Amino acid sequence: MEPIIRIRDLHYAYNEQKMALNGIDLDIYEGEKIAVIGSNGAGKSTFFLNLNGVLSPESGEIRYRDTLITKKNLNDLRRAIGIVFQDADNQIIASTVEAEVSFGPMNMKLPLDEVRSRVDEALAYMNISTFRDRPPHYLSGGEKKRVSIADIIAMKTDIIVFDEPTAALDPLNAAMLEEVLNKLEAEGKTMLISTHDVDFAYRWTNRAIVFCGGRIIADDTPQNVFRNEDILNRASLKRPTMLDVYDILREKGLAPDLEVFPKTPAQLKAILG
Amino acid sequence: MQLGYFLFMLALALAVTILIRGMSPLRAHAAEEGHDHEHEHEHDHEHDRKHKHKLGHSHDTGVFSIDYYAYISAIRDWNPMFKVFFSLAVLIAVIAINSLYVSLFVLITMGFLTVVRGRIPLHQYISTLTIPIVFVLVGSLTIALSFARQPLGQYNLHLGFFYIYTSDADLLRMVNLMAKAMAAVSALFMMTLSTPSGEIISVMRKVHVPRLIVELMNMIYRYIFVIMETNRKMHDSAESRLGYVDYRTSVKSFSGTASNLLVVSLKKANAYYDALISRGYNGELLFLEREKKMDREQTVLGVVYFLCIVVLFAVQKAALFG
Repeated sequence: MEPIIRIRDLHYAYNEQKMALNGIDLDIYEGEKIAVIGSNGAGKSTFFLNLNGVLSPESGEIRYRDTLITKKNLNDLRRAIGIVFQDADNQIIASTVEAEVSFGPMNMKLPLDEVRSRVDEALAYMNISTFRDRPPHYLSGGEKKRVSIADIIAMKTDIIVFDEPTAALDPLNAAMLEEVLNKLEAEGKTMLISTHDVDFAYRWTNRAIVFCGGRIIADDTPQNVFRNEDILNRASLKRPTMLDVYDILREKGLAPDLEVFPKTPAQLKAILG
Repeated sequence: MQLGYFLFMLALALAVTILIRGMSPLRAHAAEEGHDHEHEHEHDHEHDRKHKHKLGHSHDTGVFSIDYYAYISAIRDWNPMFKVFFSLAVLIAVIAINSLYVSLFVLITMGFLTVVRGRIPLHQYISTLTIPIVFVLVGSLTIALSFARQPLGQYNLHLGFFYIYTSDADLLRMVNLMAKAMAAVSALFMMTLSTPSGEIISVMRKVHVPRLIVELMNMIYRYIFVIMETNRKMHDSAESRLGYVDYRTSVKSFSGTASNLLVVSLKKANAYYDALISRGYNGELLFLEREKKMDREQTVLGVVYFLCIVVLFAVQKAALFG
């Protein structure tokens, strides 16, 4: 299968002393749910901005569906990849929710009718149709987050990048977010999610990429990544609770020693019989 | 003589009460008022904020409450182009016609539009008007009153070394001027208290105000709230660490907050720019604008309103020359 995005030997530096990204190689395939993990300053956000063509790499190449991205077709990349930024307040620009959601589609120079229907669709998708005319400063944190996701949904990008989406959300809003992610998954969207929530990464994704010092130090299934002590130590990551519990159960002989790893309490229960 | 004295004292008393009212925590009132409405509209965020500040002082300023009332106004759905041009036309008519009857008519009807049709609470409306009232009053008092060493004019007040004097004609001129100014202000308030800034900006775009100005207005409007929010957070955290415990510390904390605000603004500007670029920003801020229908009621209102003004003017002219 051809990857949607193929990245080879990507380098990026904010200043001359230190490389923020130091030789990134990555292929992203259709329908993948990728967790991007790593400590603060490991290069995740810089990588996303490069991936979207906001920052231009020092060297290396990005191919989108086998077309090399250059200055000329940078906008194709932006049309294909949407980023939901970590802080919705740094993303929302318009003075009403509706205008805000329309910003991306308007920039894609779509016909107005198409923009209108996409905005309606995205607002309904995120369940914020009633906030249509509200200015962003009269929205709560969770509502702003939904608006920032609707922004990207209206653009109908191939890939959606979520930069630490659960940061600063209360449990209810975090659950809402996971619901949206499930819905997007069901539609076969390709998603990259950067997160510090290892339990979520372990439970929800099918591929985990670990950033450390501007490099990718691991790229495997979450089960393999989180069972690799060396990687966990290098990236200062915690093990997911479910994995710990399962290991303890196996150690004590309470669970069968299979190469199957439960991701949720329900799956654990099924394994225990 | 007696009447003049009475009028003069009345004006003075009015001025003093209004001045005091203008300086007293008008904003705290605004916050309290806003509170109920937010409840209705389920603004959790705003709601929380107001609660948090019950003990301390309120950070709400006029900008906040005007913006908020524009947003909840019952005539917000009216076509913004109509509202902007209607209020501007009324403003020009009031100034050009220069008649007391027309001014009073506009003052009352615009207040009616804002308070009754727009359902803006009356005392909120009045307290928003307080600031211009004070200016108008102070400005127009000097028209009516003059100082002299000798008792001059129809009415005078002896104040030791000098006299303050005035006359019927001067008083009438003052009242006329005040009514005209307040009518003009109330016409503009009808617009600002019913049309959110975003819509006013979009009207400006439609009448081909240069793109640069329109985009700047759009961004400034959004960032006023972002920066105020940031400032509020920094101020609160300084206050919780006794940063405003006395005058010296307050000055220090204030300067720290101010310089930090600049740095934060620059950083935020960068983050915003990245977010804009990632959504395909190409040097032009494009937003979808939904047309608000211009219905028959508004058209009729506009036409009838101006007919009324013309009739009033004619009646006054007829009364003068008839």
